[in-house]
Amino acid sequence: MKILKVINEINSNISLRSYAVFYRNFRVWLRFYKPSIIGDILEPLLFLAALGLGIGKFIHNINGTPYLLYIIPGIISSSSMYAASFEGTFGSYTRMTTKGIFDAILVTPVSIEEIVAGEVLWSSVKAFMSGVAVLLISLIFFRPYISVFILLIPIVIILNGLLFASLSLFITSFAPSYDFFSYYFTVAISTMFLFSGVFYPVSALPAIIRHIVYIMPLYYTVQITRALFLGQFNLLPLLIDLLIIIIFTLIFFYLSVYFIKKRMIS
Amino acid sequence: MNDYAISVENLTKFYNDFSALNNISFKIKRGDFFGIIGPNGAGKTTILKILYSVAIPSAGSIDILGLSPMNDAKKIRARLGVVPQDDNLDEDLSVFENLIIYSMYFGINKKESFRRASELLDFFSIAEKKNSKVINLSGGYRRRLLLARALINSPDIIILDEPTIGLDPEYRLNIWNKLKLLNKSGITILMSTHYMDEAEKLFKNVILLNHGEIVLNGSMDYILNKNNNENIQGASDNAAYKKEYPYSDEYNNKRLKSLEEIFMDIVKNENFKSN
Repeated sequence: MKILKVINEINSNISLRSYAVFYRNFRVWLRFYKPSIIGDILEPLLFLAALGLGIGKFIHNINGTPYLLYIIPGIISSSSMYAASFEGTFGSYTRMTTKGIFDAILVTPVSIEEIVAGEVLWSSVKAFMSGVAVLLISLIFFRPYISVFILLIPIVIILNGLLFASLSLFITSFAPSYDFFSYYFTVAISTMFLFSGVFYPVSALPAIIRHIVYIMPLYYTVQITRALFLGQFNLLPLLIDLLIIIIFTLIFFYLSVYFIKKRMIS
Repeated sequence: MNDYAISVENLTKFYNDFSALNNISFKIKRGDFFGIIGPNGAGKTTILKILYSVAIPSAGSIDILGLSPMNDAKKIRARLGVVPQDDNLDEDLSVFENLIIYSMYFGINKKESFRRASELLDFFSIAEKKNSKVINLSGGYRRRLLLARALINSPDIIILDEPTIGLDPEYRLNIWNKLKLLNKSGITILMSTHYMDEAEKLFKNVILLNHGEIVLNGSMDYILNKNNNENIQGASDNAAYKKEYPYSDEYNNKRLKSLEEIFMDIVKNENFKSN
């Protein structure tokens, strides 16, 4: 099995040294953390305000949940998706090409696998910051309505971050230029944002579109986050959704390592 | 433990159909100051990239400090210091941070990395720029920081790909002196250049590459003497010239070939092959 061999080789080349790659990015971020954090908080707040208050005025509840509360878990999922996707495309691509950061690291004992792992880790931490920002805001305003299971949401956000970081690095691995990312954001990310159940139940969609939604990774994150947020769930479907997220993540992670290796070492 | 820091045998590299290196063999002794010279596109960078395993050879065998790049890339890179042709300093970080973060890639602990970084900044006389952003440094400072970075892991071998390209004479001289000092301290140096004056001043042993093949191989002394002797013999036949300028400086200048002239002869004459 060639695939197993490749995966084995990738696994054997990953160590804690990835942390150095992560730390480098964190260190650079610390220089500009204030505008970054403000952006993390402001953007989802705008969505919540505009849609929750605006549309919420007409739609009072969805399946008994007030509209604003209904979309908060969706916004948590989507804003962490966006954060990981921006960092894993524009950020990682810049470090891989124009800034020469990958080239500089590649002549040290850090392997290409560890570079990718460090990058994925960093993007998912950015996703975490963005998702948790929304979670904290909703805690301030809506504490009485929220279930205790929200304590598990940060874990889901990190997993969602790892998923979209891996997917983004996979896209980055074969991106010929920055322009390519605008297709990715329009075709993949915006589509998921609009159709994965962030703003309305997917069950409202016609069957044919619904089936497409089921291959969108964000759908599963939204499902889990909303279930935990409102405290309404059955354990088994939740675990299945979680498993699907993990499988997506692993597939995209190994693909991105494989293709970035091919790109960097010829 | 063998005497060679690096030995390369029958190394061949294809990029698709293009043959970048064709059956190259050479050996570098421990403590050597070894040069790769050749015109642009001769394959100098390709050899170096293969040695620090960011390019994969198509054929041939390589031994670096008793290890093979195919199987032990990480172990080899832990003992190499690399100064790449393209300046890839981390522009988002300060001078000092560049060294500290780089030392993390080698797994050097914080205390030790601070000690080494300070030492290297002093050695390359860039301590006063310690907290400057890299983006604000002049070319000469950047190059010295690149060298300092390559030494952060106390390497056994330093590989430099045209390290003085585009520098003014003062900085070039400065870097030459540092490299000589490092070599004296026992570090093996492998360096490529297309400046022949630089090669003459620094290298003990050298290979000359042209179109991916070694066309000249030996010690710098041997190459200069061999070519000049041949030349002087040739000149002694020219009785008329000798009569006209018996002892003049002009006679001597015209007769003694520099590496630059030897290089030009070889590169111009495509069919030339040594040995």
